[in-house]
Amino acid sequence: MAQVELSNISKRYGAVEVIRDLGLTIKDGSFCALLGPSGCGKSTMLRMIAGLEAVTGGTIKIGDTDVTHTAPKSRGVAMVFQSYALYPHLTVAENITFSMSLAGAPKAAQRAAAEKVGKLLQLDQLLDRRPAALSGGQRQRVAIGRALVRDPKVFLFDEPLSNLDALLRVQMRLELARLHADLKTTMIYVTHDQVEAMTLADQIVVLDKGKIAQAGSPWELYNQPANRFVAGFIGSPGMNFLAGQGTAKGITLRDGTELALTRSAPGPVELGLRPEHFTIATDGPIRGRASVVEYLGNTSYAYIDTDHGPMVVEADGAGIKAGDQVGLVPDLSKAHLFDASGAAV
Amino acid sequence: MSEHSATPARRFDPGAILLTILTLIAAFIWFFPIYWGLVTSFRFDDETVTDFSLIPTNPTLKNYIFTIQNSDLPIWYLNSTITSVGVTVLVLLMSACTGYAISQLQFPGRKALWWMILASFMVPVSALIVNHFIIIADVKLLNSHLGIILPMLIAPVTVIIYKQFFDGLPRDFREAAVMDGATEFQLLFRIFLPMNWGITTALAIITFIGAWNSFLWPFLATQDEKMMTVTVGISAVQDAYGVAYGRLLAGAVLAGLPVSLAYLFFQRRVTQAITLTAGIKG
Repeated sequence: MAQVELSNISKRYGAVEVIRDLGLTIKDGSFCALLGPSGCGKSTMLRMIAGLEAVTGGTIKIGDTDVTHTAPKSRGVAMVFQSYALYPHLTVAENITFSMSLAGAPKAAQRAAAEKVGKLLQLDQLLDRRPAALSGGQRQRVAIGRALVRDPKVFLFDEPLSNLDALLRVQMRLELARLHADLKTTMIYVTHDQVEAMTLADQIVVLDKGKIAQAGSPWELYNQPANRFVAGFIGSPGMNFLAGQGTAKGITLRDGTELALTRSAPGPVELGLRPEHFTIATDGPIRGRASVVEYLGNTSYAYIDTDHGPMVVEADGAGIKAGDQVGLVPDLSKAHLFDASGAAV
Repeated sequence: MSEHSATPARRFDPGAILLTILTLIAAFIWFFPIYWGLVTSFRFDDETVTDFSLIPTNPTLKNYIFTIQNSDLPIWYLNSTITSVGVTVLVLLMSACTGYAISQLQFPGRKALWWMILASFMVPVSALIVNHFIIIADVKLLNSHLGIILPMLIAPVTVIIYKQFFDGLPRDFREAAVMDGATEFQLLFRIFLPMNWGITTALAIITFIGAWNSFLWPFLATQDEKMMTVTVGISAVQDAYGVAYGRLLAGAVLAGLPVSLAYLFFQRRVTQAITLTAGIKG
């Protein structure tokens, strides 16, 4: 187990800078999710921690050791790849103990390690099979087993569940959570799926164009987003944004509607409201027409075309249907305000 | 319920029938000389130009016995085996390493090396044969197995096939192994090559067959009868026997036997190898 510390990390491919002066500390035993849209640099960051990509600038420390220029095998990290990267010509046991085999460990020790890991990951009946004979979930477990057998200080996961179907993804998510609870090893997990990040991680780092947009607990990111990007990225369906002018009392929307807020900022601002922070009524400060109503079982969402643009609101029990004219009453105590630069006020 | 067959009724297609007939004629034209050579090798010398039956009237093994007893055929077989196995092992080893390096490693001159390999197609081996002879003679390797083997190691096709194969492997395999501490040699010999032995097997068979059948260079490189390969030795037999068709053809059959057996047993792999190389050799 070890803390991971990134200081002033930058990564450049020719003229393109994908990571810019990034600093981050991932605490010992933490489950940290690197979250962000495609191309934000999250996988590059993970690969730099793994040693698969050289950093252009800055330092990486794992525990007390500066590993910036250390070979991947000597960093004390193990990585689970998105594609699993299981060797098709080797059995499950051989895949799991491949690193031991490279290091020249005795066959008996390799078998014992494979059996131990196999038992932990419920692969003990599959040790002599080849990857082609396994299901997606089983392959994923073998990939995790291959990382486990190295007894690393830090586990790195590169979108490990993205190749699985929805049901299996939920199951594997639970297994990963259990594994982390059992091992208490530092885990760094790259994903673009915010549900995975929110459910698994105790620390989420949201990346945007190679910079950290915000780092914090799932609760902080959802309830106290530091900027418009994080506010819009976290949450599904996403936050609604209403543009307006900041006033001393709050905000004046584009149609002249005044809304009182506890915070204020001068100039152009945006009001952020999550779908669950509206009440649907026959009338309200925001009016519009329901274009689509999605029923999800436990709740439903209504997509409303308003003068402020399309909005999505939770409509559970509201009894509205597509085509209805509705009024929206926002819960302004839960509202977020962003200034012209996108920073939360 | 009407009776319908699952397979549609065959329609009379004159074009297809004509094509089949032409194919059969072509196959016959190709195969008949081989068959005739085979049956002639079982005839007595005086019958080779008088007995035109499809099956020898008085079949005999005399030609084979004579060829084996009066030539160095067993030694030629041994020489062919040594040189062909040597060429096969070395070509595959070097091609796999070169293909791997060009595909997976970053080093100065990588692209130049790759272009050189591609450009080597422009130069036919026969154009280099005099140079080969002079070099091999200079290093005093004429009439030696190594002297036969060395110039036959130029095999850009196998390098290209290996490179293409390695290029096609997902990057994750390499990175996972690197994380596990694999060296480049371990990556090549424990991951990349074993992941598809089929390619190596196919290339091994076709390289072996090519080496076994090669004539021009072994012919130039060996004057000592004890160092000759089967193909060269058989030509020497022709000179020695004069026009003795039965003996000549018996020798030819014996020379071609291992290759025929290789085709017979590894038909699928040989086809695979031909398919692999077809797009490259042009």
